[in-house]
Amino acid sequence: MERRMIFQDREEFLAALRNLAREGVPQERIQVETPFHVHEVDEILPPKPAKVKNFALVGAASGTVTGFAFTILTSLSWPLIVGGKPIISLPPFVIIAFALTILFGALSTFFGFLFLARLPSVSGFVPKEEFGNAFVITVEPGETE
Amino acid sequence: MKRLPEMTGGQVVLFVLAGGVVALTQFGPLGHDGGTLLLALLFWAAVIEGCIAAVAACTLIKAKWVASVKRELLSVHPLLLFVSVLFLFLMPFVDSYPWIGREGIWFNKGFFVGRNFVLLLLAYLAARRFTIASNGDEEGRERFAGIYLFVFVVSQSLMAFDWVMSLAYPWVNTLMGGYFFIESLFAGFALSGILYAFLHGRPAPTHGPTGRSDLKDIAILLFGFSILWVGLFFAQFLVIWYGNIPEEVSYLLARTTSSPLRELSLSILAFYFLVPFFVLLPGRSKTNPFVVFAASFSILLGILVERFVYLAPIVTVRFGVLAIHFLCFLLLFVLLVGVKRETGERVLQA
Amino acid sequence: MDKPDKLAQVEQDVLAAMKRPGIGYLAALGCSATLFLTLLGLWGYQMTTGMGVSGLMNPVGWGVYITNFVFWVGIAHSGTLISAVLFLFRARFRSSFNRPAEAMTVFALLVAGLFPLIHLGRTWKFYYLFPYPTQRMLWVNFRSPLIWDVFAVSTYLTVSVVFFYVGLIPDFAIARRYKEGLAKRIYGVLSLGWTGTRRQWKNYNQLYLFLAAFATPLVASVHSVVSWDFAMSIIPGWHTTIFAPYFVAGAIFSGTAMVITLVVPMRKILGLDRYITDDHFESIAKILLFTSLIVSYSYVVEFGLAAYSGNPFEMEQFRYRALGDYTVMFWIMVVCNSLIPLTLFVRGLRRNVKYLFVLSLFVNVGMWVERFVIIVSSLARDFDPYAWGTYSPSFVEVGITLGSFGLFFTAYLVFLKTLPVLSITEIKEHL
Repeated sequence: MERRMIFQDREEFLAALRNLAREGVPQERIQVETPFHVHEVDEILPPKPAKVKNFALVGAASGTVTGFAFTILTSLSWPLIVGGKPIISLPPFVIIAFALTILFGALSTFFGFLFLARLPSVSGFVPKEEFGNAFVITVEPGETE
Repeated sequence: MKRLPEMTGGQVVLFVLAGGVVALTQFGPLGHDGGTLLLALLFWAAVIEGCIAAVAACTLIKAKWVASVKRELLSVHPLLLFVSVLFLFLMPFVDSYPWIGREGIWFNKGFFVGRNFVLLLLAYLAARRFTIASNGDEEGRERFAGIYLFVFVVSQSLMAFDWVMSLAYPWVNTLMGGYFFIESLFAGFALSGILYAFLHGRPAPTHGPTGRSDLKDIAILLFGFSILWVGLFFAQFLVIWYGNIPEEVSYLLARTTSSPLRELSLSILAFYFLVPFFVLLPGRSKTNPFVVFAASFSILLGILVERFVYLAPIVTVRFGVLAIHFLCFLLLFVLLVGVKRETGERVLQA
Repeated sequence: MDKPDKLAQVEQDVLAAMKRPGIGYLAALGCSATLFLTLLGLWGYQMTTGMGVSGLMNPVGWGVYITNFVFWVGIAHSGTLISAVLFLFRARFRSSFNRPAEAMTVFALLVAGLFPLIHLGRTWKFYYLFPYPTQRMLWVNFRSPLIWDVFAVSTYLTVSVVFFYVGLIPDFAIARRYKEGLAKRIYGVLSLGWTGTRRQWKNYNQLYLFLAAFATPLVASVHSVVSWDFAMSIIPGWHTTIFAPYFVAGAIFSGTAMVITLVVPMRKILGLDRYITDDHFESIAKILLFTSLIVSYSYVVEFGLAAYSGNPFEMEQFRYRALGDYTVMFWIMVVCNSLIPLTLFVRGLRRNVKYLFVLSLFVNVGMWVERFVIIVSSLARDFDPYAWGTYSPSFVEVGITLGSFGLFFTAYLVFLKTLPVLSITEIKEHL
């Protein structure tokens, strides 16, 4: 049977959470909903590190590679000397690669976030119950209960 | 009149001695031309002014980034007086600048030497006043920080335009002034990294978390500045490369087409940007004093090599004499910081 | 007030702006929408009649349209500075400004993006700028600064929209709670079903940090790329290395002024004094002062080095800039950008919100004029005296300029009514 505790006061909420942690309730069974990020929760129930940054790194690196590959290969595909610049003129290509690094990095971070946070969650579009500014702890039933 | 941090008689004698050694090597048979002294001054003026500027900037924006090495950074300000006096030793060298003899007050040799000397002196006085205010935790220290920063910007800009850019007259690079004072600020933060690594090393457990986060702040600053530096470098390089105007490009060509300057130019990019960026990118290295020290040292090396590359095609630099000048400065620097460590308070837990 | 009541109070104060519009709002919306329609009308007139209806001629082929482009892209930068850069610096005071600043960024970019299209004349050929293999398998010229602009500005627009949206997600969840019916559904969908679980917050925080880290280099790089539209040429007054940091500082300067112009009336009308305090305005004023000093430094260096170089073309260009055909514009620029902001050294004036508002108007004018002076005076008088000419904008260009302000303010007024104007979640976090 699911246990739900709703708190209006932040300190009561944290105290209850500490109790739960002390009782030894495993993290996976504890669901918490807060109106804003409460960093003490991370101290009481240490989370696994967020994996969003992997998406950022991969995205940014692919942006750099794409930027250079795209500009160099297209310049080589029809080698026109424009303004006396060399066919593979790196200074301008650096600018394009820089822009694509940021673009791909930002977009892949965003989509990585959506994937990792399991959003959009259709049940949340018009949720059945809204807790507002309350701090909510939901303890899912375990095998022993 | 506030009491300034008095130097003992012994220290003053050491300064005079060091000045004497420099003069000897400068004017004696070994020295001959002033290129070596110019390079030494370009490096040390940037680094010392940058140290004070780093503290002044942090004071103005009320940041605690260099708080743990603040007093040590400020303690080196007497070297600015030393630099100003040594600048006067460059007077014979000024005759070899290509614009000598041109009409106009700006190209008057006396005005040239005068304005640079006065600015260095003003930088010393502003630094001294700021140091007193900062060490005494005075209420109005932000104002003195602001005054120092203003003098710093003007002095570094003129260092760029007058000392370096005019060596290649009539070559013009409008960004050089800004570039030099950003590099100087960068040097200041690099030196705080080095001082931190020497003075605090691996913080003992009793220091607690504050010691760690200071180092992390300095590492993040160095990381950000390396990106800023490469942006400013690229801004100059791109404009000159793209325009391809012979009078402008000749400056770059002389420094990037033939060995050894070509390799040295590439190494500048490595020292200033590639090493600090990739070395400080992982989170763990930001709290490792050895890594931060390595990155800081790389940056200071970059400054020296870069200034050398600016001067090399135009001016002869004798490395033996350079080493002697460097030793003099280094000794005085260590002396000033060391004295501060003994007489001043220990780690500032600000 | 109890903590939970305070949290609810923030929500109500901020969401109160989204209630039914009053007569004042509708009047303002009507004015700006009219200006926007003027822009569309004049643009249509130009598209059907030809570029001759503008004042553009030889030698000044870039005039008010490019001035507007640079001006609006510049305005956008300050929003990103306030939201992304100040976030990385952990500056608390940012949370009262960042929503309107981010909105300003997105809208300014949308307005700026119109101007290359307007300036094209044959706007329907705009797709030439995008990299795709043409019929002859020829790609765009990546060595051209105009293509760099395409990449830089579209990257900036995309990242700014994403950053703006991400910041709004928890606030959409709050709005969803207060609304009913169709509005509830719309905000619900926009909130992506956000409920504030640990998993969501953990990933959200890292996302926000990385987006801020990605947006920060854009603040410097996008306007540097825009400045290189000019610096890549060889004409005196344009071919100079200082343009990149000079333009970036100018962008932040004009953008900060626009933030003040927008937020001062907004605070007054929506009654948000509790959240946007005089301390916040003082911090913003300090940014204004600092960037003004950088801009003044650039003026001094440019003029100084032109005189120093002995290059007759550079010297004549700068003499012309200060004393020639556009001398009035030049001195407006100097007074508004360099002299008047010096008064911000006085602390009392920094905290005087009415004074800041008036000052921001002067700076907006001064920075628009600065772009005009840089662009037009260098084109009007470059190397060959036989190619010298002058330029004055026609009524079409003036109308389109005013219309661009109309578009910007229309978008901003719509924003005030449809989106939470302050970052509710962040304010709650710092209460």
